[in-house]
Amino acid sequence: MGMTVIQRGVWGLLLWPYILTVSMPLDCKEEPGSLTRCPSISQEKLLDRVIHHAELIYRVSEESCSLFEEMFIPLPLRLQSNQAGFACITKTLPIPSSKSEIEQMSDKWLLHSVLMLVQSWIEPLVYLQTTLDHYDHAPEMLVNKTKWVSEKLVSLEQGVVALIKKMLDEGTFTTTYNEQGLFQYDTLPDMLESVMRDYTLLSCFKKDAHKMETFLKLLKCRQADKYNCA
Amino acid sequence: MMTKVREVLLLLLLPAFVPHTDGTRYSLPGKPTEIKCRSPEKETFTCWWKPGSDGGLPTTYALYYRKEGSNVVHECPDYHTAGKNSCFFNKNDTVIWVSYNITVVATNALGKTYSDPVDIDVVYIVKPHPPEKLEVTVMKDQGWPFLRVSWEPPRKADTRSGWITLIYELRVKLEEEESEWENHVAGQQKMFNIFSLRSGGTYLIQVRCKPDHGFWSEWSSTSYVKVPEYLHREKSVWILILVFSAFILLILIWLIHMNSHSLKHCMLPPVPGPKIKGFDKQLLKSGKSDEVFSALVVSDFPPTTSNYEDLLVEYLEVYVPEQQELMVDEGKDHDGCLKSIGSASDSDSGRGSCDSDNLLMDKSGAAKEEQQQQNQEGDQIGTETQGPKEAWEKETMLCANEDVVSPDASSKKVKTWPSVFSPVTPYSLSPLDPHNSLEMHKQNCLSDTQFPPGSPSSDHCIKKALQSSYWEVCFNNNQPYPQTDVHQQLQAHSDRNISAINDGNAPRNLLLPTRMTEYVEVQRVNEENKVLLHPIPSGHTREEACSWVGHGDNYSKVKGVNSDNVLLLQREVVEEESMEMAGAAESCYTSSIAINTPKSTTCSHIALPVQEERVLAVSGYVDTATMFSLDT
Repeated sequence: MGMTVIQRGVWGLLLWPYILTVSMPLDCKEEPGSLTRCPSISQEKLLDRVIHHAELIYRVSEESCSLFEEMFIPLPLRLQSNQAGFACITKTLPIPSSKSEIEQMSDKWLLHSVLMLVQSWIEPLVYLQTTLDHYDHAPEMLVNKTKWVSEKLVSLEQGVVALIKKMLDEGTFTTTYNEQGLFQYDTLPDMLESVMRDYTLLSCFKKDAHKMETFLKLLKCRQADKYNCA
Repeated sequence: MMTKVREVLLLLLLPAFVPHTDGTRYSLPGKPTEIKCRSPEKETFTCWWKPGSDGGLPTTYALYYRKEGSNVVHECPDYHTAGKNSCFFNKNDTVIWVSYNITVVATNALGKTYSDPVDIDVVYIVKPHPPEKLEVTVMKDQGWPFLRVSWEPPRKADTRSGWITLIYELRVKLEEEESEWENHVAGQQKMFNIFSLRSGGTYLIQVRCKPDHGFWSEWSSTSYVKVPEYLHREKSVWILILVFSAFILLILIWLIHMNSHSLKHCMLPPVPGPKIKGFDKQLLKSGKSDEVFSALVVSDFPPTTSNYEDLLVEYLEVYVPEQQELMVDEGKDHDGCLKSIGSASDSDSGRGSCDSDNLLMDKSGAAKEEQQQQNQEGDQIGTETQGPKEAWEKETMLCANEDVVSPDASSKKVKTWPSVFSPVTPYSLSPLDPHNSLEMHKQNCLSDTQFPPGSPSSDHCIKKALQSSYWEVCFNNNQPYPQTDVHQQLQAHSDRNISAINDGNAPRNLLLPTRMTEYVEVQRVNEENKVLLHPIPSGHTREEACSWVGHGDNYSKVKGVNSDNVLLLQREVVEEESMEMAGAAESCYTSSIAINTPKSTTCSHIALPVQEERVLAVSGYVDTATMFSLDT
C-alpha cells in the first residue's frame, strides 16, 4: 500500500508537467496581444519532422525490444507476438489494422489515432524505466534507449498536437486519453511473469510505434498527392 | 445358418486382406511442419507448410487461424492461389499489427493431425519481390566512365504512399573467374553510381530490397554492361611521367659524372700513405726494396737524446706574411689536415683523415708547458735576451691559443707562430716524431706560404716553410724547431743530396725545400758567436717571392764560414718544377715584403752559430740546430 502511494505520488509528479505540456503545441503560442512573435513552421516541414520522430522512435524501440529479448527472454518464449496472456494495452483503442481500413480513414482520424497512441504510451514507458532498474544486469544501452524513447515520445506528442492544430484547425487537446488509466502498475510477485509482462510491453510499444509511423507517412502522401495515394 | 456365418466371416476378413495386398499400413497423417508465412507488400500474405507422411491414405490439409484477441476460428480462404500446401490471405483478410495464430491440420480417413501453432504478425513477415526494371548505363565524367544503375521497386510494394519503406542493396562483379561480388547499400534511393571501373571489363549487376523491418528480397535478374576502353588516356600520362623521370635521371648522372672527382674525394677519402720516416714510396714503386729499407735504417736513428739538448732553441720569431688566409685556404684544400708529410713521400698525407688540428691543439698545449719547462732548464746555448724569449713565449701562447681555436684564424702574423713554435718545444725535449714535426711544419708552411693545392705542393710547402722559417725566424739556440726535424730529416736522409733535391727530384722529399725566396743578410755576429740574420728588403726579392714558379733564389746554401765566424750564405738560383705551385702565383706571398717592413715581430736577430762544414755540406740550408750543437 505504501509503495503504491509513493508510486502514485511519483507518477503524479512526473505526469504533472505532461498535463501542462500537452496543452502546449510545438510552435509558439499565438496568443492575441502577445508581444513576441515566434517563427512558425510550415505544415510540410512540421509533418516531416513528426515523421522523422516517429521513425526514430520505432527504430529505437525495435532495438530495445531485441536487446531485452536477448538478455531476459529464454528462447522458447521468444515470439513476435504477445503471449502469456498479456494483451497490448492499446488493444482497446479503436485503431484500424488493415490497409483497406486505414485507407478509408480520414486525415483527421489518422491524426487522432496517432495522438491516442502517443498519449497512451507515455505513462507505461516511464513505468518501464523504473522497472528496468530492478533488473540485475540490465544493459546500460537498454536503459538509455528506453529513457530516450520516453523523452522523444513527449516531443512527438507535442508535434502531433501542433500538426492537428495546423492541419485541422482544432484547438488544443486535453489529456482525455491519459485519464483512461490503461495501465496497471501493480508489481507481479513472480519474476518470470514480471519479465514477460515487460517484454510484452516492449513488443506492443514497438508495434504501436510502427503504427504511428505508418499513419503519418500515409498522411504525408495524402498531403502531397491526394488521389494517387493508396 | 452356416452359410450366413461364413459370409459374415468373409466380409469381416476382406478388409483385412486388402491391406496385405497393398503392402502398406494405414496410419494417421504425419504432422505438417515448417509453417512459413510471407507477405510481399504488407497487404496480403501467404503461408506454406510442409506436409508429413500421408499415412498411406489420401490426406487433406486445412489451415485454421485465429486472430489475436478473438476466439473465432477461421479457415484459410484460398488454398490454390499460392500453389500446393499453401494458404493465401488476400487484402480483405489481412490485418496488420494483429497476431494470427495459425494451425494446419492434416486429415485422412483415419484421423486428423494438428501441427504446432504459429503466431505471426504480418508486419514482421514482409519479404518483398525483387526490384524491377534494372537499368545500367555507362556515363562519362570528364573522360572517366562510371556506371549509373537505376531500378524500380517491386510492382506491388506501395512505397509511394509510404505504406512500406524499402531500402535497396546492389552488388557488382566483374565477369571473370575469381572475382567477388562487391556490395553497396543504396538506402532508399533508386539510383546508384559506380566508379573506378576497369576499362574494357564486363560487369554483372544485381539489386535487392528490404523493408525497414522484414526480410531481404531475392536478387533481381542480372544486368550486364561493358565498359568502353579508356586506357590510352591513362597510358599517356604514364608515358609522360616516364620520359620526365628519365630526363631527370640523365641530368643527375651527368652531374655526378662531372663531379665524380670531388665526390670521390668526399666519399672515399684517399688512404694515407705510409709515413715511415725514411720510407720512400718512389723507391718502393721502382721495386728496389733494398734501397727503400736501407733508407729506413739510419745511423742516427733513433736520435740520441743528448743531441737534443744541444739542439734546443729557446724561441724562434717567425714573421708571418700577409697572405695568411690564402695559405689557410689552400691548407684547407689539403683537407685542413696537416698530416705531416712524413719523412719522404707524403703526397697525399695532407688529405687524409688526419686530425692535425687536434694534434696541434695538443701540441700547443704541450708546447706551453714544455716551453716553460724548457725555459726553466735554462739556456744551454744561451739566449741573447730573456726578453724576446718571454715575448715569444707570450706570443706562442697567444698563438697557440689561436691555433687551437681554428687554423683559419685570420690574424696573420700571429697565426704562423704557433704552428711554428708549438711543435718546437716538445721536440726539444724528446725525440721528435718526425711526423709531427713535419706536420707542424706543414701547417706552418701552409699558413705562411701560399701554397697551391696539390700533393707535391705540400711537400714544397713544407720545404719552403722550413726554409722560410729558417730565414725569417729569429731563433734562439734553444729552439730546435725546424732544425730539429730538419736535422732529423737530414739524418734520416743522410745520403740524400740536397742539391739533388733542389734539382727538383724532390717534391717527395720533405727535406730542404729550395724555394727560398727570401733573402736574408747576415746582420752581425753577436758575442756568442751567433750569426744574426735579417731579411733583406728588396723588390727583387719580392718578385721572386711572388713568382713561385721556378724562380727561387735561395740562400739555403752556406758558402762558408769566414774567419770571423760569420756565415756566408750562398745564393742559389733554383729552378724547380713547381707546376703545382703555379696556381699560387698570384697569391703573392708577401713574406718578403713583410720582411722588408720593419716590424717588431720581424726577426731582428738571428742567432746562427757557426756551423761545421760537415753540416753545411749535408744540408743545402743552414741547419741551425746542428750549428748550435756544434757551437756547444
